[in-house]
Amino acid sequence: MSATEIVFNDVSKFYGEVLGVNRVDLRIPPGITSLVGPNGSGKTTLMNLMAGLVHANNGTLRVRGISPRNPGELMKILGYATQYDAAPRGSTGFDFVLAGLLLHGYSKPDAEKRAWAALERVSLTQAGNRKVAAYSKGMRQRVRLAQAIAHDPLVLILDEPLNGLDPLVRAETIALFREYAAGGRHVILSSHVLQEVDVFSDQVILIANGMIVAEGQIRNVREEMTEHPSQYLLQCRDAARVASLLFGETHVVEAKIDADGKTLLVMTKNRDAFSASLQQIALSGEEIESVLAADENVDALYEYLIGGRK
Amino acid sequence: MSVWAQIWTIARLELFRVFFSKRSFWVYGLALFPVVIFTGHAIDSKFRQQRWGEGSRITPVMMDSFREGATGEEILEKAGTPQRDRKWTRRQRRDEDDEGPDRRRFMTFFDGKRQAQLNFSDGKLTSVRISPLLNFEEDRKIFAGVFQYFYLRLGIFFGCLGIFINLFRGEMLDCSLHYWFLAPVKREVLLMGKYLAGLIAAASIFTAGAALCFGALLFPHESGEVAAYLNSVGYEHLAWYALAAALGCVGYGSVFLAAGLLLRNPIVPAVVLLLWEASNSFLPDILQKLSVLHYLQSVCPVPAPMNSNAPALLRMLLSPAAPSSVWVAIAGLLGVTALVLFAASQAVRRLEINYGTE
Repeated sequence: MSATEIVFNDVSKFYGEVLGVNRVDLRIPPGITSLVGPNGSGKTTLMNLMAGLVHANNGTLRVRGISPRNPGELMKILGYATQYDAAPRGSTGFDFVLAGLLLHGYSKPDAEKRAWAALERVSLTQAGNRKVAAYSKGMRQRVRLAQAIAHDPLVLILDEPLNGLDPLVRAETIALFREYAAGGRHVILSSHVLQEVDVFSDQVILIANGMIVAEGQIRNVREEMTEHPSQYLLQCRDAARVASLLFGETHVVEAKIDADGKTLLVMTKNRDAFSASLQQIALSGEEIESVLAADENVDALYEYLIGGRK
Repeated sequence: MSVWAQIWTIARLELFRVFFSKRSFWVYGLALFPVVIFTGHAIDSKFRQQRWGEGSRITPVMMDSFREGATGEEILEKAGTPQRDRKWTRRQRRDEDDEGPDRRRFMTFFDGKRQAQLNFSDGKLTSVRISPLLNFEEDRKIFAGVFQYFYLRLGIFFGCLGIFINLFRGEMLDCSLHYWFLAPVKREVLLMGKYLAGLIAAASIFTAGAALCFGALLFPHESGEVAAYLNSVGYEHLAWYALAAALGCVGYGSVFLAAGLLLRNPIVPAVVLLLWEASNSFLPDILQKLSVLHYLQSVCPVPAPMNSNAPALLRMLLSPAAPSSVWVAIAGLLGVTALVLFAASQAVRRLEINYGTE
């Protein structure tokens, strides 16, 4: 078992007769990994399995070599900000983070220092002494994140961590994830806002109906999907002319000209051949201002892999 | 961090929540209810003592000399002015042979400790009832009864239900149990930490309740009588009552902690356990050993009084099981508790966070 990876080996989880996840085989390397899938697809179950909050019915799972059934060891290296919005009644943000650190065995002065440092990292220092019950949704999100990172874990699991954050804090939080992952740690998160994970994830795991649909870097996943044409958006001076030239190529499946006459959407079965064709067209004197891959974001992957059932 | 340090850290973090949980605030009412009754009785006794003391008094010898057949005037001549003297007439006699109205009279005398109630009919003394204002022996028996029938069978039983069931089940309902599960401690250690917190809270509440009740029992009695009792067996009794209350929390606490892990509805284990404990005295010896109450009764210093006029079924349910020696009882209770906690530790290891189904 790898001591630097999270490894799922044929893991299944059922809640009675309801499927959580089914026969999951995964290796998650360090870096930012996003779990993406529709509601009820099994993202939270995967996260809870990693954190030992639920147990697999079948298969084995190791988080950096540690079994989730051994919380005494696992939780030393794992921090988990769950989606559950509750906090112990009456506790302030500082108390909330401090309690977690005391359970980690830090001395009180050390725990207090770490608690304030964690609150500072999520920009919550000023509200630290206020009751969590009085926090806004975004602040609760941040205090949970502070508790998860306070003991400096090697594996950080975050369920919908960007929900309710304002743009500035969102940017700071994403920067925090990047900083964390850069140190060889795992940052595993789930999100419904597909575009945002597309921007900063090292790899994406697409999940639907409890099964892994695809995994890897988005671009790589896209390249493997040969049965679906790739889409490119071209900005050019004469879209009709470029379209007519491209229609002569066998790899081009479809071309749509936008009403402005300058934008062209091309679908091709062969990305390399398409690049060569574009080069030839450009060399022939046609002006092509920009070429943009239109379907390398997570939304497009959904369309292809899950059939739009988001 | 050692296991003991982890257990203590968990207990410390949990204590405030256990003591001040809105969900189990009624437990204080349960623990303090007999205190209110005993305090009320103590205050009433003090007031009566004061009120009667202000009136005329007779000597104890005089009080013992009242004999049936004496006339009211003879009594008044001998004993002087009574504390109360009421006259009334009964128009219809019980005995049809007698004619005319029945002239009744009622007098009370006080000798400083006892009250004599004298009833007259047609001018003759027909009955004398002498009752002490306060009866220490009787009060102690009443306390023994309240402790065993109320505290052990109901107060501590339901108090532990309220406190220990909520240690895990309450957190499931609040969606906050995962915070504990995300701590780097073994589930068994978490269980023990929470159990310790519940035990400290329950034992504090109920031993304090029983001790306050004991204090209220002593309060109206003469200081000399109280000092003599305390110096002979009083402190020892108090210690045994406190130990019985604490052991009750140890035993019932473990059972309800396990029930909170295994079952969603607390009513079911409460009813089953209540029936089990009530029917314990009918069970064979070996099964009696699986009852918390069986051991607790053996630890109590004074046997609970049983009114011979109580309904047969009630007497049967309240009759104690065959007693064990005190140390065997304590060891037995701790043994049963260890077994139950072991079962609970197996359950908590399997427990999953699934708030959606709560």
